[in-house]
Amino acid sequence: MTEPALKQLPLLAVRPPSMKTTCHSAGAGLGAGEDAPVVALVGSPNTGKSTLFNALTGSRVTMGNWPGTTVEVSRGVWRTTRTAASCTCQECDCEPGEGRVDITLVDLPGAYSLVPDSPDEALTRELLVDAPVDERPDVSILLVDASRLSHSLYLASQVRERPLRVVLALTMLDVAAKRGVELDLSALSAAVGCPVVGIDPRRRAGLDELAAAVRDLVAEPVPQPRPHPEGITDSLAIDDERFGWVSAAVEAATLDHGSQQASLSDRVDRWATAPIVGPLLFLAVMWAVFQVTTSVAAPFQDALDGFFSGPLSAAAGALFAAVGLGGSWVEGLVVDGLIAGVGMLLTFVPLMALMFVLLALLEDSGYLARAAVVTDRLMRAIGLPGRAFLPLLVGYGCNVPAISATRILPSARQRILTSLLVPFTSCTARLTVFVMLGAAFFGPQAGTVVFAMYVASIVIIVGVGLLLRGTLWKGEVVEPLVIDLPAYQMPTVRLTASVTWVRLKGFLQTASGIIVVTVCAVWLLQSVPARGDAGFGEVAVQDSVYSVAAQAIAPVFAPAGFGTWETTSTLVVGFVAKEAVISSWAQTFAVDEPGDSASPGTLGDRVRADFTESSGGHPLPAAIAFMVFLLAYTPCVATLAAQQREIGTKWTVFGVALQLVVAWSLAVVIFQVGRLFW
Amino acid sequence: MAGFSLAQAPLHTPLLLVGGSQCVVAECRLSALGLRRGARLSVLQKTAGGGRVVVVGGSRIALGPQVLEGLTADVIA
Repeated sequence: MTEPALKQLPLLAVRPPSMKTTCHSAGAGLGAGEDAPVVALVGSPNTGKSTLFNALTGSRVTMGNWPGTTVEVSRGVWRTTRTAASCTCQECDCEPGEGRVDITLVDLPGAYSLVPDSPDEALTRELLVDAPVDERPDVSILLVDASRLSHSLYLASQVRERPLRVVLALTMLDVAAKRGVELDLSALSAAVGCPVVGIDPRRRAGLDELAAAVRDLVAEPVPQPRPHPEGITDSLAIDDERFGWVSAAVEAATLDHGSQQASLSDRVDRWATAPIVGPLLFLAVMWAVFQVTTSVAAPFQDALDGFFSGPLSAAAGALFAAVGLGGSWVEGLVVDGLIAGVGMLLTFVPLMALMFVLLALLEDSGYLARAAVVTDRLMRAIGLPGRAFLPLLVGYGCNVPAISATRILPSARQRILTSLLVPFTSCTARLTVFVMLGAAFFGPQAGTVVFAMYVASIVIIVGVGLLLRGTLWKGEVVEPLVIDLPAYQMPTVRLTASVTWVRLKGFLQTASGIIVVTVCAVWLLQSVPARGDAGFGEVAVQDSVYSVAAQAIAPVFAPAGFGTWETTSTLVVGFVAKEAVISSWAQTFAVDEPGDSASPGTLGDRVRADFTESSGGHPLPAAIAFMVFLLAYTPCVATLAAQQREIGTKWTVFGVALQLVVAWSLAVVIFQVGRLFW
Repeated sequence: MAGFSLAQAPLHTPLLLVGGSQCVVAECRLSALGLRRGARLSVLQKTAGGGRVVVVGGSRIALGPQVLEGLTADVIA
């Protein structure tokens, strides 16, 4: 792609004019103040930028050992303090805290080149190069992978052609050392014409030296750009010159090129990416994740469930009785609403924590890039490149960041198609419902049922993808697979714990907020009479506004076997967020049959009885139909907001209609066929 | 030097890339990854879906069959 072609890249996201004046990602924090120097982290994908950003700022932005983890700009404050290690005094006698410099640190999306072919790379170029001179970063830390120096230095060759202050931060020195590669950092510094520091962001080594190098460079004038030989205008010739510069730098800096023997990563990849074995291994890994998650977490869930529905509810009831509010609407709201709803959410904490740990281990190890390789053929069948697998995989955690992650794709049409498919990935909020229903209807086979729902999710994605490829995306050219495979790494406890905690906290914050609001809204609707003579708070739940509204919708789901208002109402609540499905069920049944909530595990029994009634004695196919409907219909309003931002209102509305049609059709077919056998 | 398609290249053999990709979409990305005329590489592994993992400049890059067909290489004697 030539540089003029940059302007043709379709960008749907609104982008900031400079990194000094805006905060692109509000969730990632603000800078150190207007006067603070701005330092940008730049580098090829998967060189450790986000890990370094988190280590320097104490933030917790998304990290992962696969290309395309960062698609937005994150900002944070890097508080640098001179220490004996970092001070450049001849004989350091600085007081602790002396010479403290606060820096605004900006984490840019990874870019292989300053000639971008996707919106995330275009964003990096815009902020680093195209912004007005006074709005560019004061210093750029260019992360370079020492284990593949020539590969990483290509971007450096382009950056050094610009008038920018640059520090080269060499990562993956341990991987290079294992391969027998020995580098002379001083020689590399002389060859590339800027300071070079060896760091290990995962173990927080070399960060003081990096701080010292940055502080020194901020005070210096902007260096002259690396000169091009005169008369070269052809883009291929310019590239030749760049590779010549890279080769010279590698040659000057490399003391030992290491052995050419197969590394551990190569030996693992013989199986992990192999035909037949690779896809089977991928399925086995995913099955193990869900099996381990559900089986290990089950006893903890049961214990928490018993605690919330037993002693805690009983104690709260006794407290209300003691203050004269026994049997009042206040007790109903607190015990049947908040304790039942939030308590139900908290029972899923062990399960979510375990799931997040296992996924973090997979991400940090580098396996996910291999998963993109083995699924490439499948992705191409539905009109998408192998790279599109990565945002879809993110969707299995949460659909909202997955929609943003589609920015790693170069084509606007591919981004729209992927964004339409992401809602069919089974996010962790839906997992809670699958686990509850799996345990209630299938007992010890719950883990296999949950895994089957993930397989069903893949089948639906492929089916809808084929449908769209054969119609609206007919004739679409798919770019071939080109994916950079990072070396496998031993996951670190710190990184795994950090990623797990960020996700668990995010889930709890979102879910608890949603659940408290939803519980109050459901309680209010259940307290307002729609018919009969009862007053506010005294109405039988089946005569409330909540029930009457749900009863109007319920017949739509009768052909799918779950046409009761108790179940239909959870789907309406679930449109807002799937985290609230179980709590609204718990609330409805607790209000419907007050007093029974003290016996543990009764929610599953009541749901089973409800499905038995609504399905005419075929609860199993009805439960499967319900789970598939839950899997395929609109995930949550937050996902809709993300879709609207990325692909516009028209495609978002189209997506909602598509999801509802697919979900309802599948549920009806599953129930109608299933009732013939079960 | 005519060379042969990278899809037909023997595994674990030092190769010289003698012909660039005919695929315009992939050309820029391949060049940035070091897969350009004159690059030394070897094919490490066949992958699911008919692709290959190649080693170039210390990097492991997975390439789909369409890319492999467009790249020609010669064995380094």
